[in-house]
Amino acid sequence: MKTKLLIALALILVAGFATSCRQSRAEVKPDPLARAYDSEPDWSDSSKVIPLNYQQAQGKRVFYQYCVWCHADSTPAGPSNRSNLNPNPPLGNDGATLNALSDDFMRNVITLGGAAAGKSAAMPPWGKTLSQDDIDAVIAFYRAIAQPPYQPPARPGPKYSVR
Amino acid sequence: MSAEEMGKVANRWRLIFAVSSVVFLIVLAISPARDYLRDWRRYERDYARFAESRPDTKRLLADFRPEIDQIWIPQMQVVDRCTTCHQGITRPTLLDAAVPQPFRAHPPIPHRVREWGCVVCHRGQGLATEVRDAHETTLAWEQPILPVRYIQASCGVCHRAGLAQTPRLERGRQLLVTLNCVGCHRLQGIERPAMVGPNLTNIGTKVSRAWIYKWLKDPRTLTASDGSVLVNGYENEDEPRMPKFQLKPEELRLISGYLSTLASEPIPPYKFDPRVVAAWEKRPDLIDQGETRFRQMFCTTCHSLAVTRAGETKMIGGDIGPELTKVGSKVNPEWLAAWLRNPQSYLPHAEMPRYQWSDQDLYVVAQYIASKLTDPSLLSDVPKLDAPTPDEIVAGRRLFAEKGCSSCHVVIGVAPQTDFGPDLASLGSKTVSQLEFGDSKIPRAPVAYIEAKITNPVSVNAQARMPQYSLAPGDLDALTTALLSMTGKSTTAGLEGLTLTAGHPQFRPGGAFGELYERYKCYVCHRFNGYGGTLAPDLTNEGSRAQKKWIADFLKNPQTLRPTLTFRMPQFNMTDEEVSVLADYLSMAMQTPAVNPAGIDSNQLTPQMASLGKQLYEVKYQCQSCHTIGSAGGYVGPNLTNVGNWINAAWAEEWLKSPQSLAPEAIEPHRDFTDEERTALTAYLMTLKQSSPIHAGGGSGRGQ
Repeated sequence: MKTKLLIALALILVAGFATSCRQSRAEVKPDPLARAYDSEPDWSDSSKVIPLNYQQAQGKRVFYQYCVWCHADSTPAGPSNRSNLNPNPPLGNDGATLNALSDDFMRNVITLGGAAAGKSAAMPPWGKTLSQDDIDAVIAFYRAIAQPPYQPPARPGPKYSVR
Repeated sequence: MSAEEMGKVANRWRLIFAVSSVVFLIVLAISPARDYLRDWRRYERDYARFAESRPDTKRLLADFRPEIDQIWIPQMQVVDRCTTCHQGITRPTLLDAAVPQPFRAHPPIPHRVREWGCVVCHRGQGLATEVRDAHETTLAWEQPILPVRYIQASCGVCHRAGLAQTPRLERGRQLLVTLNCVGCHRLQGIERPAMVGPNLTNIGTKVSRAWIYKWLKDPRTLTASDGSVLVNGYENEDEPRMPKFQLKPEELRLISGYLSTLASEPIPPYKFDPRVVAAWEKRPDLIDQGETRFRQMFCTTCHSLAVTRAGETKMIGGDIGPELTKVGSKVNPEWLAAWLRNPQSYLPHAEMPRYQWSDQDLYVVAQYIASKLTDPSLLSDVPKLDAPTPDEIVAGRRLFAEKGCSSCHVVIGVAPQTDFGPDLASLGSKTVSQLEFGDSKIPRAPVAYIEAKITNPVSVNAQARMPQYSLAPGDLDALTTALLSMTGKSTTAGLEGLTLTAGHPQFRPGGAFGELYERYKCYVCHRFNGYGGTLAPDLTNEGSRAQKKWIADFLKNPQTLRPTLTFRMPQFNMTDEEVSVLADYLSMAMQTPAVNPAGIDSNQLTPQMASLGKQLYEVKYQCQSCHTIGSAGGYVGPNLTNVGNWINAAWAEEWLKSPQSLAPEAIEPHRDFTDEERTALTAYLMTLKQSSPIHAGGGSGRGQ
């Protein structure tokens, strides 16, 4: 009689241990926008929305203050200045052009101006107006909205995945 | 007891000992086993494996210890163990999105993780070492992680003044003010303002009972046949500020009856020159001239009208004043003429300027508004309402107080209510158990509670008195963010000293200028010493920037500047005397010490320098990409065709040194000109003069 009781007790303990080990991991819906700091509609397809992280969102802020006038086809104040310029500046989401440029090159063009990098002098230098963080953020924003999407340069080393 | 029996007993005891020792062994093993299987240990092992797979393994594992990692900042009461699992949070090489969580680096922010910890911004439980306890609401750990789209709320806990990096928080704080949430609720850091709703003391002289009934039922003036609100062409700004109260037909009847009797201090109707009336009554077709005057005066800078083009209805115009599409069916024509002539006689704090009207203009504009901006079917769905009975008036007056109307509206003789709604000054720090969810179906989380309360108050509590606001989705997030930032006092003790105060003192000059400043309400659109509107240029430094003659010419004929903009300065029809008072004051008093008018040697502005400047302008610096001269150039910056008659040379030179030092928001880049280049450019700009003032200034410039 007592044996049964003890065995039952032991079983309860083991069962309790087992259940406490089983972590109830409720799978959260993978909605990238809900986890995003901010978002930006895809310029070429307004039904698509691109999630942005903190840095990209800061870049969006800087972009819409300083860059949008020449690097977009519509601006918060109406028509864009882009069509006035020859050569036409690339659109901010022009992946075909910008994906080929390295971060360092983009940083140089923005900081020192187009003339310093062998491009049009119509692109002014922003190094004394924007901070280094602002410029990095703008580049991060360009990378986030690029169409076709930007692929960062491949890193060596085996792929890793979390269990 | 026989030996056999004793043996049996001994056997039984042996069995009991055997079983219990196994049980004890298991029980003793549980603790180390559980400890070994803890989440954080698993993530640490994973991190070590992950680091092995990266090219910079050595650096990633430099200070790796297989134990609980803790950030302890005693003066802020921060004890965060988040970095135990989030091992890569400070490693710049782990920033890209391909790095699996929880090892990804934090995007660069102004605060360092090691100095501030994580919970200060992200909330959650810094002490917890289980994934769920740290991130979600569990039995003993109540504070969940703040969803990242509201994260700016945490910035607002300490940074009370505006930050450029937190647009969502700023928008939310602005909404808290414009929606007058402080009318009913106590909020942190927002002063109770003057009543935002119109003063209703004389509302009976302005509108009919039927209109009040319709408005109270749903304060949307423009609804499509399917009931959808069309007033959204211009962001969401055209939504009336008055929310929708859930009123029953009987309540609507009583309150509208009470309000329609309010006329204790009516303004006398304006008596037109009978000759003007007679002349216009003979030619009613000339009413179109009223529309022309309406447009010429740029009423649409502040008021919007619904315009249907190609089957699509859009709101065109500004949002400072109310939308006017159907105002002719709303207001009493006599009231309208008296209002247009002197808005402040009806509402002392009205923001509408007092125009200089001729009788003829006033008559045609009033006629245009009353007869053309109408909708005959506007009040067709209102039941027939007679003059209210005394009982209805008494009951209506009681309801007016019960519904909290006097939180936003002044009626002389009715005491305003304060603290009508709950205190929200520490809403952002409330935990789930401190919020009343009742038996609603809302997810048990503080964020869900706030969102549900804002989107539909009765979804949380069927008895809620709070009215229904209609907000754009982005505004809902912004408002939630601002409310979450109200945590009573700063969660980080010792930071109180960092709290900044926002706001500039009101700029109320005296004298002749002060009178005109009030009459024309300059500060509604322009900013003076940090106080005023943002629609039009900041005039704080206007005296240093613009030449006095240009200011005077502009005030006489403001239409000539920036012909491509929808928003233009209205035509005030100022007298010459008024113009000279304003121009004198602006050019003498609104100056900045950064620009010294005597600091520029006009002898240096020679034709040779000007031709060098022209070359620099056109070739080396390509200023024409953004500025227009004549008919060629870009339109990011202002048109420079007439800049020589407009801008002071000293201002131009200082501006070229650093635009942002004169106007922090300027988008013109700060460039490295040599002193000679700067003088040459100034010399060139000063030669750009246009003889005819018709096209002075111009361009759709932003900034200067």
